[in-house]
Amino acid sequence: MSTYETLDEKEYGKLTNKVFTRLLSLLKPHWKWVAGFLVCIAVVSIADAYTTFLSKRIIDEGIIAGSREIIIRTVLIYASIILIQAASAFGFIYLAGVLAERVRYDLRKRMFNHLQELSLSYFSQMPVGWIMARLGSDTEKLSDLLTWGILDITWAIINIVTAAIFMFIINARLAVIVIIMLPILIVIAFRFRLRILKHYRRSRKMNSKITGAFNEGITGVRVIKALSREDSNLEEFGELTDGMYDASFKAAWLSALFLPTVQVISSIGLGIVLWRGGLQVQYGLMTIGGIQAFVSYITFIMWPIQDMARVYAQMQNAIASAERIFNLIDTEPAVKNRARTVDTDTIEGDIRFENVHFSYEEDDPVIKDMNFQIKHGEMVALVGPTGGGKTTIVNLLCRFYEPTQGKIYLNGIDYQDMKLQDIQSRIGMVLQTPHLFSGSIKENIRYGKLNATDEDVIEAAKLAGANDFIIKFEKGYEQDVGEGGNLLSVGQKQLISIARAILAKPELFIMDEATSSVDTLTEALIQHGMERLMEHRTSFVIAHRLSTIKRADKILVIEDGQILEMGTHRELIHKKGKYYSLYTQQFRQELEAQYDVFNKPAASEVA
Amino acid sequence: MSAKSYYDLDLSKTISKNRLIGLWRMMKGYHWLYLGATAALAIATISRTGIYLTLQRFIDNVILEGNYGRDLTIVILSFIGFALLQGVFSFISGWMSAKTAEGATRRLRNYLFDHLQRLPYAYHAESQTGDLISRATSDVDAVNRFYSEQAIGIGRILLMFIVNFIALLQLNTRLAWISVIGIPAIVAVSIFFFSRVSKAYEEYQEQEATLSNRLQENLTGVRVVKAFARQGYESYKFDQENWQKFRLGKKLLSIHSLFWPVSDIICGAQMLASFFIGAVMALNGDITVGTYMAFTALVIWIIWPMRNLGRLIVQTSTGMVSSSRVMEILKQEREPLTIGDYQPDGDVEGEIIFNDVCFEYEKDNPVLNDISFTCNPGDVIALLGSTGSGKTSLVNLLPRFYDPDDGVITLDGVDMTRYQRQYLRSQIGIVEQEPFLFSRSIKDNITYGVHREVSDEEIIQAAKFAAIHDVILEFPKGYDTLVGERGVTLSGGQKQRVAIARALLKNPRILILDDSTSSVDPETEVQIRGALDHLMTSRTTFIIAHRIQSVMDANLVLVFDKGEIVQKGTHEELMKQSGMYREIFDIQTRIEVELEKEIASVNI
Repeated sequence: MSTYETLDEKEYGKLTNKVFTRLLSLLKPHWKWVAGFLVCIAVVSIADAYTTFLSKRIIDEGIIAGSREIIIRTVLIYASIILIQAASAFGFIYLAGVLAERVRYDLRKRMFNHLQELSLSYFSQMPVGWIMARLGSDTEKLSDLLTWGILDITWAIINIVTAAIFMFIINARLAVIVIIMLPILIVIAFRFRLRILKHYRRSRKMNSKITGAFNEGITGVRVIKALSREDSNLEEFGELTDGMYDASFKAAWLSALFLPTVQVISSIGLGIVLWRGGLQVQYGLMTIGGIQAFVSYITFIMWPIQDMARVYAQMQNAIASAERIFNLIDTEPAVKNRARTVDTDTIEGDIRFENVHFSYEEDDPVIKDMNFQIKHGEMVALVGPTGGGKTTIVNLLCRFYEPTQGKIYLNGIDYQDMKLQDIQSRIGMVLQTPHLFSGSIKENIRYGKLNATDEDVIEAAKLAGANDFIIKFEKGYEQDVGEGGNLLSVGQKQLISIARAILAKPELFIMDEATSSVDTLTEALIQHGMERLMEHRTSFVIAHRLSTIKRADKILVIEDGQILEMGTHRELIHKKGKYYSLYTQQFRQELEAQYDVFNKPAASEVA
Repeated sequence: MSAKSYYDLDLSKTISKNRLIGLWRMMKGYHWLYLGATAALAIATISRTGIYLTLQRFIDNVILEGNYGRDLTIVILSFIGFALLQGVFSFISGWMSAKTAEGATRRLRNYLFDHLQRLPYAYHAESQTGDLISRATSDVDAVNRFYSEQAIGIGRILLMFIVNFIALLQLNTRLAWISVIGIPAIVAVSIFFFSRVSKAYEEYQEQEATLSNRLQENLTGVRVVKAFARQGYESYKFDQENWQKFRLGKKLLSIHSLFWPVSDIICGAQMLASFFIGAVMALNGDITVGTYMAFTALVIWIIWPMRNLGRLIVQTSTGMVSSSRVMEILKQEREPLTIGDYQPDGDVEGEIIFNDVCFEYEKDNPVLNDISFTCNPGDVIALLGSTGSGKTSLVNLLPRFYDPDDGVITLDGVDMTRYQRQYLRSQIGIVEQEPFLFSRSIKDNITYGVHREVSDEEIIQAAKFAAIHDVILEFPKGYDTLVGERGVTLSGGQKQRVAIARALLKNPRILILDDSTSSVDPETEVQIRGALDHLMTSRTTFIIAHRIQSVMDANLVLVFDKGEIVQKGTHEELMKQSGMYREIFDIQTRIEVELEKEIASVNI
């Protein structure tokens, strides 16, 4: 469990050559789009600087020179520039925006497909929320950097450069003053941005803590009331909101200080320019329109600087996101096909575990030297305490994990020589907490065999004993099961997952029986469905019900990763060992539940 | 620190039918600051206009008249002076409005948190957790944005318009009017566009949710996906939603990529028209060159900000919807914790009498009907019955999570409703079947709600009695191990024992417990049994019983059916009667007989 805590995320990444090349490779397939928006933004940026120059001409060559024609002509040029600029604006917004969406799409697709390849061990280490953040916020940040980030930087640089060129054209000596001012402004802006970002991130963190506190305060309200914890809870919550206040207030006032600082500095520069420029006018070195142009260039120079600083600050975050994304994509599946595989069209036959060891982490064995052989068609019950290793055995059998030592033979072949697909497509599985997917009942059953006809689906549901409750729904098989199947009861979900497994016609059937009690009628239906599935095929059941256990051809009592006892019900009862005590305890509990006079099966969940 | 200091204002008093008035009242205490922010903003705006008017003088008086010297110095200094003023005051304005927004939001969050935990239990039982959380978080964030961005943003644009327009009027009336002709069109286009965008954005967001649900289902169902080898199918399904999101994003982008150029053209046309007319007037000598230059600068500050007005107005409306969603919670009445005229010195004895108590959650659907019984101090009362028969409802009346609709419950001879709830709850301990634990350390969970300093020895002592000490020591960080998402997951039985340890520390006079110990191994069961026995010693105890053993030791057994007590008495008394109780009891013996038979049948 400690893994989760070490997953705390790096906030800043460095743009190394390797990362940089890799980032570019993401854009490579769409280079035309990139080129497109870069051209558009360049046009917009140059036009920005050029219109200011046009304003100068209106004053100098129009008003002061007294030429109406020049005014008209310049205004017309100005108008056409505005049109060109608008068209380019359309271009860059569309191209960069759609490309951003496209990069997101690509990244999500790649990660999702890769996740499908990864082994179960990856998912047991990584919390779902962590993986989801890779496809969520990290993808957003990265794609924004690759499109809008590049766009903003390009705009800013071209804007500054063209403005500088025009300023040099108008008056080189004054332009030098501005050029000297630039680095100061840029450094200040970058520093501000980084600090603002730091506080901003702190406030995001506090915000998620606040959400957590609300969550607990609401879900745990009964305990809070019973223990009169209101005052101290508020006190603790107050600390969170104080932290939040501190962070967001700082971020806000730093932002409020940022632009004025840049403005004041540039105004001082502008003052100097006006002073020097004003003096130059009398010698004819500077025109009034020129002064006007300098005023505009300097006033608006804060925008590109601000943009550069913003992108710079975001970039560090986005690179960290990129590293995490690449990390996910680069993760090799722990279980994969070997270089040379045997083609098999069946896995039917005997199953043999030979000196099988397994551990997630070194020195912490979960399965120790396990040996057993199961004949084709046998039903095996795995019993024993939670955490003893029953689920791991099943996971090994399905080759979700591979033994760290020893071999597993299916039909006499080492299963690591087979193709994963060949094994896993022939397994049917019903889990303790059945997992359904959003969608209709029909879609969920059909998951077992994608090309099944409606008749096949209904047939399977009938065999599973699910048909009766399904047709009672208003929409029957088209009934929506809700997110994760939460519109159905546990018993109903179980029946549907049995139908799904029946439809798959597996060669090996694996079931993890539910511990939670369902009503007697549903229980009977589930038992019946299981029997159907176990007919003529090898099956492994992590068993909790006596009726299931008793029916088994072989019972394995598993504890601490070892087989404590193995045999039939009769043999093991005779032995009066672990199985005997487990059995008698279970017997009492089941009968207690069965005889519970209050909870008569009258109100059936299914019917 | 007293609770009150976290919010100095009763926000339930700020509710108004007019949402703007409500939002204004919610700012109480910050009104002057917020007005100050507006005033500072006005000064900053005026200063900026001053910069351009200085420019006019610079051209007309200095350059065209050739007055270099004092005039030049004055102009340059006032130019920098105005720039400084503008900078300083826009910072002051930002600082003040941030203080207002964050301060008012902090108070709102604190108030809301406290309010939620003080609302009656009945309110929580009927509300959706997710809905309450989203109101308390994202809706509050929206209110915060209303204060910090939207209101002040609209104010900024309007101020800029007013100040600059007045300045333009000073420069030249005709020019001023010409420069604002296009403004209504700009605002209209902007509002139209942003309301379209917000719809497209909603769609996009919904698809985002669909996509992440799909992902989550895939991740949580990874074993099913692998077991059926459905990786390809999953990729296909994900790709469909992923592609749909791409398409919706493209649609959103199309609207954006139309708006900005269109507004560019409208704003540009207005600006250029003003430039042109201004230039012609300057050419004809109607205005000076300096005026023309000041005019062109001011016009830019009037026209371009206007296209953001639509965004702010549209966002404001979502801010107001959020504020009313928050208000709906604030409207609810709190549960008075300290109202009650009877307060004994020290602890209660624990004598409880129910007298014809009736209770219903909703009208005409009674869940408790004419319940009467007497419980002496230190008695153990066992409640037996099916789910929904009224056991839980009855114990909910003891800490006054609910009050009876009819009849009287007395504690030590005094009507329960005369006790303060807070006092009452300090006298009662509850151990639920699977208690809620908080995501903090195990130690903190054990001491949660014990209103005094507790030494480590005491905690360990309690944990030992609760048979959880050994379990805790097995965790890597022992008592400091975090519980929940970021730490260990405890089983139901372990959680229950943590709650037992907690109850032991709290040491209440009255105890409510659910004795179900389902799915634990026999050894643990014996331990829990011992822990419970220890806990019950010399306390008035109400047990929601699931096993015969707790019932047998009880001083009084109440058998419930459909909200009524159908049988009442001690084990011995009830055994003598025919009825539900004996039926249950007989089962126990029957089970043992059947077990023997079963084993024997195998042995043949």
